[in-house]
Formats: sequence, C-alpha cells, structure tokens
Amino acid sequence: MKTITFTVNGQKYTREVEEHKTLLRFLREDISLTGTKEGCGAGECGACTVLLNSKPVNACLVLAVEIDGKEVITIEGIAQDGKLSPLQEAFERHHAIQCGFCTPGMIISAHSLLQRNPNPKREDIQEAIEGNFCRCTGYLQIIEAIEDAAEQLKPKKSKKR
Amino acid sequence: MKNVDMKMHVKGQSVFIDDIKAPIGLLNAALFTSPVAKGRIKNIDISAAQKSEGVAMVITHKDIPGKNQIGHMIADQPLLAFDEIEYIGQPIAIVVADTRKNAKKACQLIKVDIEKLEPVFEPREAYQKGLIHAQKRVLVNGNIEEAFKKSKYIASGRIDSGGQEHFYFETQRALAIPKEADTIKVCASCQSPGAFQHHIAEVLDIPMHKVELEIRRLGGGFGGKESTAVWVVAAALAAKLLNRPVKLVISRNEDIATTGKRHPYSYDYKIGLDENGKILAFEVFLYQQAGGCADISPAVLGRSFLHTSGSYCIPNVKITAVSCKTNIPPNNAFRGFGVPQGTFIIESALFHASEIMGKNIIELKKINLLKDGDFLPYGMQLKKTNAVRCWETLDEKVNIKKRIEAVEEFNKNNQTKKRGISVIPVCFGISFAQSTLNQASALVNIYIDGSVSVSTGAVEMGQGVNTKILSVAANTLGIQKEKVRVDTTNTSRIPNASPTSASTGADLNGMATKFACEELLTRLKKLIAKKTNFFDLDKIRIKDGIVYLCGAKLDYTWEELILDAYNERTDLSCHSFYATPAIYYDRVKERGRPFAYYSYGTSLTEVEVDILRGVYEIVSIDVVHDVGKSLSPEIDKGQIEGAVIQSIGWTTIEQLRYAPDGKMLSSANSYKIPDIKFVPKNFNVMLLENSENPYAVCNSKAIGEPPFIHGLGAYFAILDVLRKIRKDKPLPSLPLTPEKVFMYIYE
Ligand code: FES
Ligand code: FES
Repeated sequence: MKTITFTVNGQKYTREVEEHKTLLRFLREDISLTGTKEGCGAGECGACTVLLNSKPVNACLVLAVEIDGKEVITIEGIAQDGKLSPLQEAFERHHAIQCGFCTPGMIISAHSLLQRNPNPKREDIQEAIEGNFCRCTGYLQIIEAIEDAAEQLKPKKSKKR
Repeated sequence: MKNVDMKMHVKGQSVFIDDIKAPIGLLNAALFTSPVAKGRIKNIDISAAQKSEGVAMVITHKDIPGKNQIGHMIADQPLLAFDEIEYIGQPIAIVVADTRKNAKKACQLIKVDIEKLEPVFEPREAYQKGLIHAQKRVLVNGNIEEAFKKSKYIASGRIDSGGQEHFYFETQRALAIPKEADTIKVCASCQSPGAFQHHIAEVLDIPMHKVELEIRRLGGGFGGKESTAVWVVAAALAAKLLNRPVKLVISRNEDIATTGKRHPYSYDYKIGLDENGKILAFEVFLYQQAGGCADISPAVLGRSFLHTSGSYCIPNVKITAVSCKTNIPPNNAFRGFGVPQGTFIIESALFHASEIMGKNIIELKKINLLKDGDFLPYGMQLKKTNAVRCWETLDEKVNIKKRIEAVEEFNKNNQTKKRGISVIPVCFGISFAQSTLNQASALVNIYIDGSVSVSTGAVEMGQGVNTKILSVAANTLGIQKEKVRVDTTNTSRIPNASPTSASTGADLNGMATKFACEELLTRLKKLIAKKTNFFDLDKIRIKDGIVYLCGAKLDYTWEELILDAYNERTDLSCHSFYATPAIYYDRVKERGRPFAYYSYGTSLTEVEVDILRGVYEIVSIDVVHDVGKSLSPEIDKGQIEGAVIQSIGWTTIEQLRYAPDGKMLSSANSYKIPDIKFVPKNFNVMLLENSENPYAVCNSKAIGEPPFIHGLGAYFAILDVLRKIRKDKPLPSLPLTPEKVFMYIYE
C-alpha cells in the first residue's frame, strides 16, 4: 500500500492504493468513477483513455501510484456544471455513438486533440484517434462530430480577439 | 430521431453491468476451462484452489442442482464439463472469491487430469468422419444435370472463408443477486432474455417465474451474446449456491480465446451460364466450421443455405450444407447470421464464371439480378423487389461505367499501384428462419402524471432499437417523445422474449408496441367521446399532447385526459402481442416462405493495391441501401456505416490464428479490427428513396445485418486487382490480408 495525493476532475484526493493496481481499476473501484471503461485491458483499444496532466493515456497501462502529485481528467470531468462541451454535443448531433462503450475514451482523445490543435485536418483526427477503436460506428460519424466541434469552437475564439 | 441514450453516453453516465454499484457481500467469479481440445476428464482436483486466498467456493458439475445443460438447439453443451472435452476453453469449474484477482489465482491451482483424444479441426475432415451437428440439408430445385448440359460456360472449384471475432466492446458478463424465497435476479449482457432465463431455471432447478433476468443495455453484441449462455448461467449458479451476489466478468483475452466466432466455411461450387451470361445452374456444398457443440450453428447454416443464390435469379440449384463438429469453441451468431457466407459463395462462383466467359463481372451481375415474379430456390416468389432499383440508383449516382473506365485509366498510368473495383448487390431475407421466434410482446403503462413507460423484449446494444420503439410509441399515442421512456428488458414484465437478432428487434417489438399504443388510444378516445358527446372516434386525434376534434384543438391536454381516464377507472396499462403473419417453412421439402420480406442494396467499392508490398487502401465506398421508410435515418445510416466497416474487417484484415493443438493464438494485442485510419476517403451512404414496406412496422425495414454484405466489395475489389496480375491459381480464400495478397502475387 502506498499513500498518494492527486486530483481527479479538479477534486483533490489522498488515498491508499495497492502498488500494482492500475489507474483504470483505481478510478472505477476506489473513486467510483465508472465512466472510464475497460475494453481490452491491454493498451490496445483506447476505451480507458483519461488525461494525465493534460496528456491522453491508457488508464489500463498506468499504475495508480503513478498519478501521485498529478492531475487526472476523466469523462465525468468534461461537461462543465452539467453542461455538455461542444465536443460532447457534436457527438450527439452527429450520432457518433452506438453502444457507447468506446465513447468516453473517444471523447477524451478528441478533447485532447482539440486542445492541442483547434483546427485539425481529417488526417490529424485520424492520427489522434488511431488508438481508439470502435466496433460499432464505422468511425465516419465520429470524424464528422470532431470536425464539427472544431468548427463550433472557432467563432468564439475569433470573437475574443 | 437520435439515440436516446447518447446524452448519458457522452458523459460516461450510462450504466453497463460492471458499472452497477456493488451490492453488499458481492463476490467475483472466474472460470477454469479446458487446456485440451479433445479428451475425457479423469479427475478434477480442486483441493488447493479451495484453500486459496479469498476463495468462497469452487463449483464443479457435481454442485449443479438441476440440469447440467445449456445447449441452445441441441442438448450437447454441459455448463460444466464432467466427461468429454470438446474444445480448449470449455468450462470445467467456477471459482468464486472475494476479488476477481483471487478467483483467477485460484483457477491456476485447479488440477485436471484429461485423457487426450485426437482432435479434428478441419470441417471437411469432420464431415468425412461423420462428425456433424444436426442433419445434412439438401435443397434441389429444377433440373441441375440438364441445366449444366445446356450451359455454355461452366466454372467450378473450391474456396474458403474465415472466421471473425465479435470484439463487442463489453465482454461477456453478468451480475446475479439472490432474493427471497429462492428467487434470483440476474443482470446480464445478453441478447436472449427468454432463452437465458430458461437455461438459468433449468440449471438452478427452479421454475422460470423465480428467475428475473434484466438487461439495460449491451456494450455491443453483434450476435455473440445470443446463444451461448455460459457466463450468465455460471454467475447465477454461483449466486444461488452461495446465497450471495456474484459478478462474472471475463477479460478480453478470455473472451477471444473461449467464445464463439463467425463461422469459417469451406465450399465446393459449380456454376453454369448460357451464351448470354444468364445463370442456368448452381451447385454448392457448404461445410460449416461449427466447433465442439452445436450451439446455434445449425440455424446459422440454414440461413447460409437459403442465401446461396444471393441477389440473382437461378432456375436450377442443388445446395447441400453440413454443420461440421470440430474441436474449437462453438461458433455462434455474428451479424449476418450465415448470409455473408452464403452470399460470398455465389459471388465467388459468378466471379470465376465471368473469367471463363471473358465478360465483365459487373455486367454479368446486372443481367442476373432478381426481379418481381422471380422465384427463390425454396419456392418463394418475389414481390416489391428492389434489387434493380438499388443498382440503378447507385449507377445514377456514381456512373458505374465511368468508374470502371477511371480505374482502367489509373492502372494504365501506374505501375506499382493498381486499382480494383467491385459492385455488390444485396438481397437479405428478414425474419427468423425458425418461424416460432417471429413473435414479440410489449407492455405499455401510462401513469397518472401522463408519463409513459414501454417495455418490450428487445435488447438495446447500440443499434438504437429502444429509440425506434420510443418513437413508434410517441407517434402512435400522439405525445411528445420526452413523455415516453423505454424501460429495461425484463423477463418479469415481458415473458418468453425471442432473442434480439436477425435484425428483427425493431420490426417485431416495434409492431407489438404499436398495437399496445393503439389499444390504449382507443380506450382514451372512447373516454373523450363520452365526455364531448362526439362519437366519431376516427375524427378524434391526439397530437403533441393535445386533444383535437375534427381537426379543431380542444383546451384539453394529455395530462388532463390521463387523470380523467384514471378517475373514470380506465385501464391505463396494455400488453400486446405480434406474430409475423404468413411465414412458414417445410424442412423436409425445403420449400416455403421463410421471410416476411427482403432488404436490398447495392454498393461500389474501389481499392488501391500496392503490388510491391501487398498492402492496400480502400479508396471509396458508395452504398445505396433500402431501409423502407426509415424510423430514424441517423440510426439507419450509422448501422450501415458500422456494418460496412465491420464487414470489411472480416473480408480483409481480421484473421484468427490457432496453434496446432487448437489453442487460440489471437489476442487483444494481435487481433486487429478496423481502426479510424481504415475509413475510406470517400464513404457515401444513401438510403433508397420512396421505398415502402407493408410487411414491417410503419413501412420501415430491418437494418442491423443486411448492409454487412456490402463489405464483400473489399474482397472482390482486391481480387479484381489480383486476377489481372495472374489467373494461374485458384481464387484465394477470404480474408485477403496484406500478407495473403503479397503471397498470391509472388508465391
Ligand atoms: S482498456 Fe485500456 S486500452 Fe483497452
Ligand atoms: S459505439 Fe460501440 S464500440 Fe464504439
């Protein structure tokens, strides 16, 4: 057991954790955040993607002890005050979801892409989402949703200027 | 209308089995399975496992209170093996412990002594040895010998198609909670509420009314959770024996290694054409790789069998089909349910024939397309056939001839990259081929605040069936969609539900829902009539939650109406039932009307192959698909896109690998499914316009499986390239992996 201090979705926690426990299990079992899913447990599918210090990682490959002193964002932290983010809205608008099991990881990866690159080209989207598999949708509606979200995010920025 | 669950999905709030809050005293189960493909159990030693940390119980066949049997069609599948072993991964014991980890650890301490026997892995070999499930099926129509004599061009050969892992994102799992008086509630990720409830009752030796099986949603199913009940029944058994809640979740690699897949097939074919290219005769033998137990394989085979003529009119046929017993995990349903394999063989045979005749395959297909009045081999005459309409609509959209020319032009100008093209017509029969299953019921409750709850036997697994049902209910009642909620699929509310499969979920359950809503509406209209003294019920309408008389709006809302109805003691709950009319099939004569209607489509696929390396890219896919009058164009479009990509996975990159001893070598790390880079640059899906379908709810058509057939286009477009390079070899088997493409060219 090791004591770690970290934040998840802006909330600070101090917890005891078994050294070998993955971040995925820790989030689901110890923090009761079940939005992050296990699709393969082997670093292949991306269903477990979360942001660790703003970088997307596969939570099934990271150990919980590694988040000591760090900041984690999960799918539950994307909507602000219950309001969907433009990306989440775009996923809904474009019907980029079928069973919904890959969706949390998908949204986290796309969210991170839009933070890094607000103007992604189709190839950038494909590059960023390559590690997120979806068995249901055929991806087209996912690409369209991300493109649209980027579009939605644009005017606000130009207004600010 | 969009999928009603999406708001929760995007926030990570939707609850799947493993997200349900752990009930007090929850235990976790793991399965110990056979390491041997064929053998006989001599001894099972669980003593060390029982003593392992955290273990509550190690369950073997001896502990089963009822029948040790979960065979879906034939009683050949024990829940826990006790004597004969038929495949690696066959369950032998269930270990229940405080944590999943401890349960798995204890599994490794179980010692089983198995006398090894000679396994069979090849379907043809199994057939030679008489190892088949159910009976051989033979369908003869017309006079095949005569027709071959008259044929100017004859092509024959052997070909194979491979399996496919479902890779539904949520692996097999269930949570079982014992309740008072010997009852049990099981929350499961499964597609067959009625059948699985029945298996649980039989294994636990309790009546079905003591088993409540509940399904909220599945993280994908694709058929893989329809027939094999192992994981659901195992959790229920453990909960019952220990009188504690038990959860069983298997890992991705366990799922890949031990669950059924799409059936590989081996085929012998012979096709005869007249001088104009009209198909005169087709003879085919299907060898299905079924696995160690029958599971649902004979039913899958039956559908392949009925679809071997594809979208073509073939007057003389002989179709023979056998489900071969091989020592791998029992294969089961997978989107398309044998139709992709049935269609593959006729498409392959016709492709081969076009080479012999020297005529363009695309033209050859067109002249053989099914038309109204044509008969299918089992004697069903076609009406409202849209095969030609879909083809022509696609042609108008993409100009097939120009596309062929463009490919030829590209190939002239490029040496190392070559393009190939294929057009695939789809004709897919809708209904369960087993007529009994074509029934469904719905329960619609209206509460005194005007909110409505709908329960059906349909299982939501991402295909949007609940959304479609919700919209049928809201439209029929004339109220806003927000007032309606589709409740869980629960065997206590909806008994004896058929599986959600064969793409019939919305057709059957939607129709039952419509009937129930219509009945409720009539009751409400009678009340309005009494209150208003206006007795022409046809002129009373409810729209957007307001009552109208002869088109005039009344100051009377849905909520007021419902409260009045309650006070007047009107029954605000209605159960209704639907059975697809006029379908029947005679298995002895192999004749009948097994399908209510057909779903059609046509697609054009273009690929580019790097002939130095064997790698390829899907350049474009254009699809026209007939969905009737769509209940939700967004959902239907998503179903088509998803099916096409999943199918291209099957026809190109997804390859299962086994060790010589039958052990699955594919794993999460090595089994590749299409990723986002796989999506073609041009991917256009169009729904056929003005298509009406009187045979299903609100003129719609089933959508889950039929578009899977389009994915064959990738195989045949690559084949187009390969055969232009060389024809001195037989047609390569499906899937055409880059490796196989390379070997085909250079070996
Ligand atoms: S669950 Fe972590 S990558 Fe699949
Ligand atoms: S929506 Fe089911 S896996 Fe992506």
